[in-house]
Amino acid sequence: MTLFDIIFTGSEQALEACKSVLEQTIKEYGENEKVSFPNTAYSLPTIYAATGQKINTLADLKGAIGVIESLIVKEQNLEKALNAGLATAVAAEVIEACKYVGGKNPYEEPCVGFIPDTVIRSLGVPLVTGDIPGVAVVIGEAPTAEDAAKVIKDYQSKGILVTLVGKIIDQAIESKVKMGLEFRVVPLGYDVTSVTHIVSFAIRAALIFGNIKPGDLPELLKYTKERVPAFVNALGPLSELVVSAGAGAIALGFPVITDQDVQEVPMNLIVQKDYDKLVQTSLEARGIKIKITEIPIPVGFAPAFEGERVRKDE
Amino acid sequence: MSCDFECLSCDAANYKLMEKARNEKIETVWDRAEAMQPQCGFGEMGLCCTNCAMGPCRIVKVSEDGPKKGICGADEDTIASRNLARSIAAGSSAHSDHGRDIAHALYHAAKNPESGYKVKNHKKLISLAKEWGIDTENQDIKDIAANVAKTALEEFGKPFGNLRFIQRAPEDRKKIWNKMNVTPRAIDRDIVEVLHSTHIGCDADYRNIMTTAIRAALSDGWGGSMIGTELSDILFGVPEPHEIEANLGVLKEDEVNLVIHGHEPTLSEAILIAVNDPELIELAKKQGAEGINLVGMCCTGNEIAMRHGIPMAGNFFQQELAIVTGAVDAMVVDVQCIMPALSQVAKCYHTKLITTSPKAKIPGAIHMQFNEEEAIESAKRIVKEAVMNFKNRQGNIFIPQEKSKGFVGYSNEAIINALDKVTNSTAHPSGTVKPLADAIKSGVLRGAVAIVGCNNHKVLHDKGHVELAKELIKNDVLVVTTGCGAYACIKAGLMSKEARGLCGKGLATVCELVNIPPVLHMGSCVDISRILLLLSELAKFMNVDIKDLPVAGAAPEWMSEKALSIGTYVVASGVYTMLGVAPQVTGSDNLTRFLTNDVKDIYGGYFDIESDPKEAAKKIISCIEEKRKILSI
Repeated sequence: MTLFDIIFTGSEQALEACKSVLEQTIKEYGENEKVSFPNTAYSLPTIYAATGQKINTLADLKGAIGVIESLIVKEQNLEKALNAGLATAVAAEVIEACKYVGGKNPYEEPCVGFIPDTVIRSLGVPLVTGDIPGVAVVIGEAPTAEDAAKVIKDYQSKGILVTLVGKIIDQAIESKVKMGLEFRVVPLGYDVTSVTHIVSFAIRAALIFGNIKPGDLPELLKYTKERVPAFVNALGPLSELVVSAGAGAIALGFPVITDQDVQEVPMNLIVQKDYDKLVQTSLEARGIKIKITEIPIPVGFAPAFEGERVRKDE
Repeated sequence: MSCDFECLSCDAANYKLMEKARNEKIETVWDRAEAMQPQCGFGEMGLCCTNCAMGPCRIVKVSEDGPKKGICGADEDTIASRNLARSIAAGSSAHSDHGRDIAHALYHAAKNPESGYKVKNHKKLISLAKEWGIDTENQDIKDIAANVAKTALEEFGKPFGNLRFIQRAPEDRKKIWNKMNVTPRAIDRDIVEVLHSTHIGCDADYRNIMTTAIRAALSDGWGGSMIGTELSDILFGVPEPHEIEANLGVLKEDEVNLVIHGHEPTLSEAILIAVNDPELIELAKKQGAEGINLVGMCCTGNEIAMRHGIPMAGNFFQQELAIVTGAVDAMVVDVQCIMPALSQVAKCYHTKLITTSPKAKIPGAIHMQFNEEEAIESAKRIVKEAVMNFKNRQGNIFIPQEKSKGFVGYSNEAIINALDKVTNSTAHPSGTVKPLADAIKSGVLRGAVAIVGCNNHKVLHDKGHVELAKELIKNDVLVVTTGCGAYACIKAGLMSKEARGLCGKGLATVCELVNIPPVLHMGSCVDISRILLLLSELAKFMNVDIKDLPVAGAAPEWMSEKALSIGTYVVASGVYTMLGVAPQVTGSDNLTRFLTNDVKDIYGGYFDIESDPKEAAKKIISCIEEKRKILSI
């Protein structure tokens, strides 16, 4: 299968999943039930930013299906492949939004799920100043918990905000990586679709700090590419769905670095199987240069440890 | 003239000069083409034979009762294939003799400091010396250069073995050539064999005649042309990307305009040094000029544009119009594609047409022989002639303001350098074609097409090149170009960064990341050997044969025998090749079927003919997509 066919397949899977989740939710709550993420002024941020439309009810959400369908055009070229990636991102947002219907809070510790506007606003300044030099989205599963911890801690020590999706969360817990916004390690959720919460983070950054008009998709993609220094590490076996979500990341300007055998795309989809080099490869791929003065001390030293609380038993 | 200028050319600079030529009663190529109509059908179909004094013979196809055989008994297949084979041999000989001259120049650079040539690229010299098994350890660079030059010269007439550069082709390709017995042996020998076997009473089997012709063509692409390119790079430097100006607007009203036209960089490089000589510049100023403006035309123009950023004044069909401006003080020419009509046009103005090669003299022109043994001195004498002619300018001078900018200088070395910028230093090797292979395999680029060749009155000037290139880049197909196709593309703005706006998303992304225009200027017609090497590298990297790659060649406005040789070696190297003008073979159904069909099963490449650029693009793209399907990419 060609790389683009894998993406199209993943996007169609996302579309099917999205349709069935939405149908189920409507069956349960009715079409007039409200849809929203907690603590945001941007409705369903991905759909809002891409189309300029605010989604209020499950009935509105049915309209979003058409948006996803229109983005999946199975022609063998980059433009259509990237659009299909965006379709997957929209589908993921619809699925995640359904989880919140009925005022439920579907995520529990340590996962955070949807990231509220206030957090984005508070992270805006350090992102602009370069205090947070990048945002890593680590998705999937490393071969061992040690590998996972090594990678996460390496990012952490460089001040990079790390978000985790999938089994890597358990691996982080297992190796006692300190997590939480104050440590700049944020577990999003176990489902692949929870990656949408970091996508909507980047998109809201564009709306808030870039003053991008909702509906101006080309400007939005330009802003995220040029100004949001995010990248993706896709670890472990890659399903079509994950590859398709990766195409969504690439559409936003975020390179994907994986430890799996895939057809590479220069600067955008890179294979790095050596865990000792994964961080370096990722930073170079996103053009993140970190000026650090290494201080030879026996503990980690980085802004990420600023909010650390030292408990009694530590 | 029966119709408007827009139906003759798609270059606005030309309209004004065609108007001026008409007003001043100057005959141009378009007038002569019109006067020639209708052209002879026997010649057009390849059915006229003049190979012996029993002839001329012709085969009549249009009626039942005409002769179906020549006097010797040669039928349409024999006659058409002999004619084609001789044309291919002529094309191969033109390129190869060019290559021989460069090898001689390299030899003089090494042996004779008087020549004024110096070896510029030691790295490439040493790497070629090593490839050829020439001792480089503790050797003087001049001795290495002389040995490389001598070895190159031996390629033309060595008694045994095969051409050295054949080793650069992928293994599967070499196997096909060996099996078909077309592996070139020695360049001159392979060409001579065509002339021999097409003599009366010799080879009468069209397939066998084509085998001999294909061998002669391969001895061009993988021999003469490749020697020409490689040694030119060694002698004059490997081209690197830079921005230049193109079209007739590069002529300057207040400077001595010297147009260098022809093919061999041995002359143009020496002229370039001479025009920068302070004494000659001073002399120009004494004549009332601001300076000396050197501009290039056709392939010698491509050579100095690629290496030194000299403006590209115009392509094959613009050579007369350049003189019609009235601002050309000298047009200095060497060999190939120089219209003899120039001397007539030059006579109507003050322009001095200066021939320089003993191989190409033109009645009415001034002949100032250029000697490689004392290149710079010869060049200075020629430039002085141009400078002294500035004051003779008279009457109606008109330089059209049309000119455009673009990036040129994409040698394989430059392309790989550019590709290195998109590798990840911790994840990828550098110095390879991997990023190009990845872009193609992933589908971001659908494929690559080389648009090469000439101008021909049978196709609207430049439109064949430009429209085809635009259609291809719109569909994420990277275009590389050489020769007069390169002029058409740069004049149309396709070598500028802005041209990314005309590309599909995939190609636009590649152009942005690698920082290249969507149409890459790879040089002169001998530099098509660069394309062969790039394809070989790509094929080897992807572990396939050249015939498996999603690539194609196109010569939308071809006219010369050199183009026939090029097309033939490209097809025999495994590449689907689109011609915008039908070759003179259509009188033989068997030969036509051989070229457009049978060769596919043998070599993988084959000829196709389509004069409409949009239709040609469709066919090329469908061929590329078909190859992708076979490769499952």
